[in-house]
Amino acid sequence: MDFIQLVIYISIYVGLFATSFYVLSFLADKKRPKELFSDKELPKVSIVMPCYNEEKSVLATLKSITSSNYPKGKLEIIFVNDASTDKSLEIARKFKSKIVKVFDRKKNSGSKAAASNYGFSKATGEIIVSMDADTIVDPESLKRMVRFFKNKKVMAVTPAMILMDVKGILARVQHVEYLMGLFLRKAFAAVNAIYITPGAFTAYRKSFMDKYGVYEEGNITEDLEMALRIQSKGYIVENCPEAPAYTVPMYSFRDLLVQRRRWYFGLIDNFLKYKRVISTKYGDLGAFVIPVALFSILLALIVTGYLFFKLVFDIRKEIDFLQTINFDFGSLYDMNLYIVERSAYHLVSNPIVLFVLLFVFILLFYLYYAQKKVGKSFELLINVPIFFALFAILFAFWWMVSIFYAVFVGSVKWR
Amino acid sequence: MEGRGFVSKRRYLASFIIATVLFILIVLVSYSFSYVELRRVSNLQEEVAYEIFDDKLDYTLFGKDVCFQESFEKISNDLNFQGRIIDDLENKFGKNDEGVLFRKKFYTLVELEHFEFIKLLNDRCDLGMSTILFFYSNDNTDLGRSEEVGRLLDSVHSRNSDSLMIYSFDVNLNSDLIEKLKSKYNVVNSPSIVVNEGEVILDPKNIEEVESRLGDFSGFSENGSSIIYLN
Repeated sequence: MDFIQLVIYISIYVGLFATSFYVLSFLADKKRPKELFSDKELPKVSIVMPCYNEEKSVLATLKSITSSNYPKGKLEIIFVNDASTDKSLEIARKFKSKIVKVFDRKKNSGSKAAASNYGFSKATGEIIVSMDADTIVDPESLKRMVRFFKNKKVMAVTPAMILMDVKGILARVQHVEYLMGLFLRKAFAAVNAIYITPGAFTAYRKSFMDKYGVYEEGNITEDLEMALRIQSKGYIVENCPEAPAYTVPMYSFRDLLVQRRRWYFGLIDNFLKYKRVISTKYGDLGAFVIPVALFSILLALIVTGYLFFKLVFDIRKEIDFLQTINFDFGSLYDMNLYIVERSAYHLVSNPIVLFVLLFVFILLFYLYYAQKKVGKSFELLINVPIFFALFAILFAFWWMVSIFYAVFVGSVKWR
Repeated sequence: MEGRGFVSKRRYLASFIIATVLFILIVLVSYSFSYVELRRVSNLQEEVAYEIFDDKLDYTLFGKDVCFQESFEKISNDLNFQGRIIDDLENKFGKNDEGVLFRKKFYTLVELEHFEFIKLLNDRCDLGMSTILFFYSNDNTDLGRSEEVGRLLDSVHSRNSDSLMIYSFDVNLNSDLIEKLKSKYNVVNSPSIVVNEGEVILDPKNIEEVESRLGDFSGFSENGSSIIYLN
């Protein structure tokens, strides 16, 4: 067995071990009694929505959150216009009411975190929800999420983040990725190991922010930092998969790369900052979930990198071979019945192929779970094969770029 | 920091057991497919050997006209497949697996029976079937080149499937038969080919180098007889 085969088999075993652990945790969590607020007990909520040039989406976003069936007397929406140069402010002002408060900052804050913090300072609710101006929520989502705050140790609740307007190959890859995340986030929640609270729509307990601070303004992934801060203080981050929140995918290769570079760079940056969390003192999160995530990234980089360079080498070799047969493509395959048998034998006698089939089955189970929570999507029939074809190579590429920036540049920009 | 424990340490043990069982089970399943395939190849080899012997005995004992028999084409495909799948099984089980080694030696025997039969057909029926004896090595040093020549020969066969038979011999196989063959055709290094029992071509580099010799049967007459005398 050569080195790369060994790495592949180690990756597979780690994947099986982690998947077993997450599935068992998920199943056990179903039986766990949960403390939930009743309708009468629901606390006051402040939705904080920073906005910079979102005229295309802000109308739908405000419509969706004002249509929420959260008790209106216990809801306020703080819209922070961060010096938009388009019609965002004009649109938001049409919603101005007792519930919707519009704040206009004449000078751009320079970061989403700063604009959010400004909104947090105006909030009067016990619960603060960070919401992007291009996120759309289900009318029930807010109420379902806030119920979890009955448990005094819960400091944040994440929704079921999913994509809308899925068009194009890259969006289809992201669609499957987000749906897979639904199961994993619930499984992480089962062992209190959520380490990302999506800034697009997450509810926080205000008292935590009062005591430990608001978003870190210099942090490129302030929402990730907040999740790790909550975890590092020994509190709970919950997940509510029955609360869909829809966001838009990145459509272009460049936009997606920039987004992932920011996310992954932020992950490296914040894991270094909170490296003390990677310890058995922090239970399942520190001893298992984060180490497995880091190890999986490392293995994925090695395997994908190797396969990529092997592919390039093989293509070169194939061209050399084709030259020896004068590019007579017709002569490459001597068609007979045995080709089918031998191909089938190659597939079923290779354990890696069987493991891949097993992981495909597991992925389909994740997607089945996601569909149960957020509704059926027939587009998955197209999106899943595209995901399998492209995700690994994209994932490795994004990570390589992010590691390059972390090592050689030391910073990344939002855009 | 407030105290944080593990939700359930037993769950880790359960996950370890599930992952290990699944891992072993899948590896075993993949190996079981290989054993099934080895059995199938064994049966196929015996069928092919039987058919060749049957055809030859029809001719030698009962004087049947071999020129009208058509089974050799099917047998050729069967043989080709066997050679490939035995290589695959060797990769799977390793070079020292007794079962695979036996199949490989038996395959060599069947190949030579077939080779002799084709020569007989060429001789008696003017069949015009070219033959290539391919001596390859699966030693790490020569494996890469041997595989490339193997692919080149596949293409040659594909382009000349009606008039060409290729017989492959692993020079690293501990077989007296192959040693005698090497000696008979003056094969020293691998990969080498012998086209129509003519001169040895070491490490052919392109398709023309092989195809230019296919129509030339002078090697057969130089070797005197249609029957290979191995001793």
